[in-house]
Amino acid sequence: MPFKAPQITAYGDSAVLIDYHSPEFSRQISEHIQSLAAGLREDGVWLETVPAYDSLLCVFDMLQTQQSEAIAKLKTYVKTHKSRNKEGSKIIDIPVVYGGKYGPDFDAMCEALNLTPDALIKAHSEETYLVCMLGFLPGFCFLSEAPPRLHHPRRPVPRTQVAAGSIGIAGWQTGIYGLDSPGGWQIIGRTPLTMFDAKKDIPSLLQAGDRLRFVPSTKEIFS
Amino acid sequence: MIEVLNPGTRTTIQDAGRHGYRHMGIPASGAADPLCFALANYMAGNRWDAPALECTMGGLHLKFLEDTTIGLAGAHMWTQINGQNVENFTALPVKKNDILTMSFARDGCRAYIAFARGLRAERFLDSCSTYIPAKLGGLEGRALKSGDRLKTHNRPCEAPRKIPLGFAPALSHHVVLRAYHGPEFEQLTQESKRHLYVSPYITSDKTDRMGARLRGNNVETKVPISMTSSPLLPGTLQVLPNGQPILTLIDAQCTGGYPRVLQVIKADQWLLGQIAPGTQVSFRRCFDDEAFDILKARNSFYSTLIDGFSF
Repeated sequence: MPFKAPQITAYGDSAVLIDYHSPEFSRQISEHIQSLAAGLREDGVWLETVPAYDSLLCVFDMLQTQQSEAIAKLKTYVKTHKSRNKEGSKIIDIPVVYGGKYGPDFDAMCEALNLTPDALIKAHSEETYLVCMLGFLPGFCFLSEAPPRLHHPRRPVPRTQVAAGSIGIAGWQTGIYGLDSPGGWQIIGRTPLTMFDAKKDIPSLLQAGDRLRFVPSTKEIFS
Repeated sequence: MIEVLNPGTRTTIQDAGRHGYRHMGIPASGAADPLCFALANYMAGNRWDAPALECTMGGLHLKFLEDTTIGLAGAHMWTQINGQNVENFTALPVKKNDILTMSFARDGCRAYIAFARGLRAERFLDSCSTYIPAKLGGLEGRALKSGDRLKTHNRPCEAPRKIPLGFAPALSHHVVLRAYHGPEFEQLTQESKRHLYVSPYITSDKTDRMGARLRGNNVETKVPISMTSSPLLPGTLQVLPNGQPILTLIDAQCTGGYPRVLQVIKADQWLLGQIAPGTQVSFRRCFDDEAFDILKARNSFYSTLIDGFSF
């Protein structure tokens, strides 16, 4: 493994946290976490496996397993796990309208980062992003790192309402809001695509491991 | 059929929750207080996990359009049928055209009303639990409103049952939760570590099924931490940058970006559903395998009564 071994510790009485404590974004760690989580789901004994960028929370059944057993099992599993990642998954295009009413923080961000609107759009849309994980709410996509010149802290006070499809920046993170929800990210644009539809067999439009590109579009795509 | 005359503050259909989908960003939801929910179903003659109503803070008025039996458990809401007081934690036969009214919650936050044979509701990923942010389950994924009509299943069920003395939990305005240190606990100042276990917190009115904002002594980290989004569970106590804690409840988001300083033990998580604005919340530290023993004891007590139930 090209990265150091994770810390594997108890999280409350019924879960175990595997934490790589990565100081910055690492695509390798993120992909490794997804691979670990997918393997554990195949095991079928874990009640929940919740992946994040550099950590993975595994919930076990306290009626079946003792915590010390769960920790020991995961330590062995992590040591022997060989990362399997979906190679060459296709790139999904996400149309985005940047700025205006669809990106309320766009102008302030251009100013703070000393970028012209075109430069910000170009920087954000020329990158190919990996969907690292889903959550915090249904349909929300946490993506791989935004280009360094777009790094920008969260808003000091979160908004009580952010529209579904909004595209935001928080520090080095960039992501897409799946539902109308509260949120503190800097919103630079919005996509008309439905990120989460409970009526579909696979409710989330995107899955962890997918790759995507933002395609700057005009506001007509919303009509 | 049952008609909703007034939904009260917020009433939803809940069951045991949809578990195993947090990696898709979908929280389990389900009854916020699974113990009282299970007791209500038991009394109505159902399996413990049949879909039932969860009434938050009170104000629910129902009209029965046919004879049935209901089980009533959870927060005491001065429930009446046709203007006559009825006991909490009982099974009640009701007749066509009877009207049930619930007043404001005393000693707790949520009451459960289970109906013989269980409510019919929309299923999503093996559960009928209402999750409002994504409009999942229940009735169109929303809280009940006046004029809604609820249907029960036709399947057979047991006769109404009583619960023996001692099985109805005592609810109060002071909730004591036993907890272990969370992943970022060690990053707190010495003073804050002490505050967490000795000083009580008061729940603010910014409280819903997702989380309860608490007010009290500030909890501070030694140095400001900027965290990337990390996994969360119900019962995680996080600290906001202003030093005030927020306790995640049954609809906890799957990930969060604030330090996680405590995690409430499984056996005490049912109490999270009874935290109302104004409730005093204290934390007690758990050591070693204590939580496992507590859970085992609690489970063996309740499983003698309710088939298949565990905390």
